[in-house]
Amino acid sequence: MGKSDKVMDICLLAGEIMLTYGAETYRVEETLERMAKAATMKNVHCFATTTGIFLSFEEEGKDDHMQMVRVDDRLQDLNKVTEVNQVSREFVNGQLDVETAEVKLIEIAKAPVPYPLWLIHLSAGIAGSGFSFLFGGDWPDLLPAFIAAILTSVTVVEFERYLKVRFAAEFMAAFIGGTAAIALVFFGVGDNINQIVIGSLMPLVPGVPLTNAVRDLMSGDLVAGVSRGSEALLTSLSIASGVAFAISLFL
Amino acid sequence: MFIIELIICFIATIGFGVIFSVPKRALLLGGGIGVVAYTILSAGLYFDASPVFSTALASLTAALISHFLARYVRIPVTTLAIPGILPLVPGSRAYFTMLAFVDGEYLTGLEYGVETMLRAGAIAAGLVFALAVFSFGKGIGHRYETNR
Repeated sequence: MGKSDKVMDICLLAGEIMLTYGAETYRVEETLERMAKAATMKNVHCFATTTGIFLSFEEEGKDDHMQMVRVDDRLQDLNKVTEVNQVSREFVNGQLDVETAEVKLIEIAKAPVPYPLWLIHLSAGIAGSGFSFLFGGDWPDLLPAFIAAILTSVTVVEFERYLKVRFAAEFMAAFIGGTAAIALVFFGVGDNINQIVIGSLMPLVPGVPLTNAVRDLMSGDLVAGVSRGSEALLTSLSIASGVAFAISLFL
Repeated sequence: MFIIELIICFIATIGFGVIFSVPKRALLLGGGIGVVAYTILSAGLYFDASPVFSTALASLTAALISHFLARYVRIPVTTLAIPGILPLVPGSRAYFTMLAFVDGEYLTGLEYGVETMLRAGAIAAGLVFALAVFSFGKGIGHRYETNR
C-alpha cells in the first residue's frame, strides 16, 4: 500500500468522524484539504455534504486518487470534533506522522462519550428545570420539570438504542415528557403546566443542526445547509407532534 | 432576583453543554457566554426593545465572544456558540404556537408562529453577522471578482 492510500484513509476517517459527530461542512472540507496538502499531495479537492464526503488528490508523478465515504449517522458529540481538529492541526504542523495520526484517529473513533450516561441524563434534568424557570416558571416548578426532563432524556436514549429510528424516538420522548409533566401537575407537584412542559422538552432542542445549518448556508455550502436545516425542522416537527399528542390526550 | 436567574441560566447552559458533549475545558466558557447572551436579552426587553431585536443583539454578542474565545483556546467555534445561544431559543413561543394549533385557534397560532420564526431568524442573523466580522479579509461567499 502506497503512501497516498494511507493518506486517503486517514483523511476520510477524520472527515467521517467530524461529520458524524456534528462538525460544520466547511470545517470538514477545510480540514481534509489541509491534511492532504500537508502530506505533499497535489490538486486536492474535497466536497462534503451532510451525508457524504468526496476527496480527490494526486500523488506527485503517480495516479489520481478519488474516494468517497457515506455518513449515515448524525450524532452530537462535540468533544470528538475538537479532538479530530487537534489531531489535524498537529498533523499539518508536522508533529504527527501518518501512522501515529491513524492510531490517534482510530482511538478517537472508538472512544465512548466523554461524560457517563447518568451525567447526561442528570444534566438534561438540570437544563430542563433551569429553562422552565427562565421561561417564567416558579420555584415549585423546578422539581417536576427536573423529573420530566430526565424522563425525556432517558426515553430518547433508550428508544434510539432499541428502535434505531431517530424521529420515532424523539416523538416518543416528547410524548412521554409531556405526559409526565401533565401527570405531575395533576398530582399536585408544580403549578405552571406550560412552563413545566417546555422545560421537559428542552433537552430535545436540535441545537447542533440548527447552528450548523446557518453556518453552512453562510459559507456557501448551500446543499449541506438546506439539508441540515430540514433535519432540524423534522426534529422540531416530531417534538411538536409528540407533545401535541400528549396534550390532546390528557389535557 | 435577577442574579438568581443568571445563576440558573449559567447552570442550565452548562447542562446543555454536557448533553452536547462539549469538551470539559469549554464547558465553563460556554456557560459564561450563555449568561452574557441572556443578560443582553433581558436588558433589551427591560428597556422596551422588541424581542426580535434583543434576540439578534444577544446572539450577535454571544457569537462574537465565541469566535474570539475559540481562537484564544483553539477549539472549534461551534463548541462555544451552541451552548452560548441556547438561552435565546424561543422554546416557549414554539410551545404556545403548537398549543394554539392543537386548540384550533389558527390565527393565534400563526401569530405565535411568526414570532417564533422571527426570533429563530434573529439568532441566525446574529451568528451570520459575527461570522462575517471574523471573516473580513479571508473571504466568504463572494459575489464579484474584484481582483480580476
